[in-house]
Amino acid sequence: MTTLDSQVGSRAIPNPKNSLITKLNAGTGLIVGILFAIGTYKGLSNTLDTSVYHLHNQVLLATMFMWSIGFLVGIGAFIGPVRWLVGKDLTAEEQLYMAGDGQGISRYFKYCTDHKVVGIQYLWGVITLLAVGGSMAMMIRTDLFNSGGHFVTAPIYNSLVGLHGITMIIALIIVATGPFGNYIMPIMIGAADMAFPRLNALSWWVLATAIPVLCSAWFLGGIPTGWTAYAPLSVQAGPGMNAFLATIIIFAVSTAVAGMNITATVITMRAKGMSWNRVPIFVIGATVSVALAIPAFPTFMVAMIQTAMDRSFMTGFFDANVGGTGWLYAHLFWIMGHPEVYVILVPGVAIIMEIVPVFVRKPLFSYTAAVVGFAGIAGLSVLVWAHHMYMSGWMPMLNGPFMVTTEMISVPTGLIFLVILGTLWNGKPWLKVPMLGAYAFLWNMLIGGITGLYLSDVPADQYLHGSMYVTAHFHYTLMGAALTGAVAGLVYWYPKMTGHMLNERASYVSFWLIQIGFQILYLGMFIAGSEGQPRRVADYASEFINSNRISTVGAYTVGIGFIILLWAVVHSWRHGKIAPMNPWGAKTLEWTVPYPVPLTNFDTPPVVTSDPYGYGRSAK
Amino acid sequence: MSQNDNLDLKPVPGERLKKFLRRSDVLQSTLFGLIITGVFIILGGKYYPEWMPAAMSTDMKAIVKLMTVFTWISAPVCGVVLGIALYSFLNRHKGDTPPPDGPATRTNGPVVLLWSVVTSALALVAVLYGLTEQNSTSLASARNAEDAMVVNVIGSQWAWSFDYPEYGISSHELMLPIDRPVSFKVVSVDVNHSFWPVQLGVKVDANKLAETLADTTPTKLGEFDVKCAELCGLYHAYMETTGEVMTEEDFNSWVSTQDGDRNTK
Repeated sequence: MTTLDSQVGSRAIPNPKNSLITKLNAGTGLIVGILFAIGTYKGLSNTLDTSVYHLHNQVLLATMFMWSIGFLVGIGAFIGPVRWLVGKDLTAEEQLYMAGDGQGISRYFKYCTDHKVVGIQYLWGVITLLAVGGSMAMMIRTDLFNSGGHFVTAPIYNSLVGLHGITMIIALIIVATGPFGNYIMPIMIGAADMAFPRLNALSWWVLATAIPVLCSAWFLGGIPTGWTAYAPLSVQAGPGMNAFLATIIIFAVSTAVAGMNITATVITMRAKGMSWNRVPIFVIGATVSVALAIPAFPTFMVAMIQTAMDRSFMTGFFDANVGGTGWLYAHLFWIMGHPEVYVILVPGVAIIMEIVPVFVRKPLFSYTAAVVGFAGIAGLSVLVWAHHMYMSGWMPMLNGPFMVTTEMISVPTGLIFLVILGTLWNGKPWLKVPMLGAYAFLWNMLIGGITGLYLSDVPADQYLHGSMYVTAHFHYTLMGAALTGAVAGLVYWYPKMTGHMLNERASYVSFWLIQIGFQILYLGMFIAGSEGQPRRVADYASEFINSNRISTVGAYTVGIGFIILLWAVVHSWRHGKIAPMNPWGAKTLEWTVPYPVPLTNFDTPPVVTSDPYGYGRSAK
Repeated sequence: MSQNDNLDLKPVPGERLKKFLRRSDVLQSTLFGLIITGVFIILGGKYYPEWMPAAMSTDMKAIVKLMTVFTWISAPVCGVVLGIALYSFLNRHKGDTPPPDGPATRTNGPVVLLWSVVTSALALVAVLYGLTEQNSTSLASARNAEDAMVVNVIGSQWAWSFDYPEYGISSHELMLPIDRPVSFKVVSVDVNHSFWPVQLGVKVDANKLAETLADTTPTKLGEFDVKCAELCGLYHAYMETTGEVMTEEDFNSWVSTQDGDRNTK
């Protein structure tokens, strides 16, 4: 234990003796969850014939949902609601206990309501997902190193593609709003905690129960569909598909709860004096993101429920033989799918906007343009979904209008660039790793945006759709821009979240390895796509071998970079240089609180008199 | 910047601009920007046509041109963004303490306005260009609809087959006569596929019980690849076949050798 942790440990631990809450943690959750799952599986298998396709699906889905519910029962998620049902509530002592203050490491494995604990839980959840998804990416690239050579078999390859996709999508949806939205954001706005601390804990633990469900897909034969899970392929798929469906349904509950909680917190709990034009831009970005997720994700959930019903009750929503259509699925999916891209991107952008003024020592250029940019992107993003369906044959007449809305997004995106460039202009940047991330972001977002322009164009998409070009394009936006923003945010806020500086040399090395490897990886993929290689293929014609080998070399470089970053994060957590209170000299509120951050963040509620970008020679 | 500006407080507009343009950071950013724009124009014009397979149809020709033109439109955008970013990156503060504060520029109305207008104009150009291209393609297909040869394309896990109702034959290879418009009527017998004769620059999904259309006119003799561009299960990667654009005589003699062969029905 370092000195910092012993300080935490020395506080008096509230101990509501004999309360059920004190006896529950992730371990009891695991036990009850597994008991629920086994009970459900055994019970249903005895009554339903699992050799019948749809009955087997019923049993598996029920088992997965019961695991999730069982885990939540076992960890004590329902103690509060049950007390309310019988007209009582948790005692003050119990509530303090649930906040986890002074309980050391063990609070991270409990149903803990402290937003800082939830933030760290999310951080490690994200790291786990990224590690799993990244390993799958390495296996995909290894398989594609040779044409005709088989590192993995075709069904395993298809599962890798789909599970890599969904793992990374889930990871990136929560990568910024999970760790930083929970840990940093309430402090940034001067709040003592989130608006609904118990729901905050619920959103994390619901998500946590989805991770084993997702992993179970491997033991049920994988998924053949890719993360888009298009029907009717998903309806004829094997039992592994149930794991995918259950994961998304559980995840959608988690995002709904988290999104509502973050939105409510920002709207109602800002510090005195923090009018809307004084809110840090990251808070705006995170709020836009989660607020966009609230209407978007239910359609994904509906699509998954309908797929599950087609598979388990033979309903035929997506079965053309009985009047259904796969196009319905594609619509529901992309009505979620396109806003979801911006759910991922906007917080990443906002982190970069938060970082640049600090390291250039200039005010954020045109705060209004940034807000208008976010609002414009969010508004337009719900009107563009059918650009994923240009070539589906659904209503070719409507391709034109969707092309117009899609290309209009370049206007608010242009504002985002203007804000960052305007802040850089006339400044002398301090090139610490977070600031390097801003430059990488600009380059990657530019490439991702411009290649998006080709894809948004119907005639060009006629060639590029479904090719490796698309894969390269969206990795530039999601990984190159959004994940780069999140990693920059991790380096930036690491001192506040851990009390230590992130190892500087390791983070420099990892930054350059990741970014250079990334360019090589996707340059190769752009070439392969232009040459005409379809995406999601386990094998390819020998003419594509050079571009694929370039990609694989780049992918390994990225992989090594991330391993170094992971090492730095783990190592510096305990052994890093002790961080000063405000290592970057930033003006947002989170840098005014010490580490460890007190339970209610501020001793006296802060009063805000200006926005946090008051840098500059002539400011006073 | 009108003539109403108070001349005592502000220099004449032209002079301010001149002074601005002579600043070394402006000069350097502009220089970087111009170089980057040039590089993108040259690379886009050179590499897209090089990477993309030889165009064998009217559609594919238009697509290669479109990729090049879009690169040219976006090159100045890259120039502006990367020029400013590169100058700022090179002009960095060294040391372990934060740099001194820069100028407290909160915003600049004319710049924001100009930037919004220019990006909107560029977006408009892209939209108009795309719509015009799309329109001319659909006009061409409407014009050609009369004398187009119909090919019924059937996707199944994991093979393509092609019916030629005009000749009463079917095949697993896609043979097309040169310079005759062809109209593909695409359907799937199971899951979604995507019909992609690569060098013809045409693509459309195959759906169950819902016919989709695509058309083009082959303009160059030679072999081409037919692939599936929508993940369709286990052997998606191998769901490919070849096709050939042939002279009319060759096509007719191929048709006669196929006569009566209806094994895919």
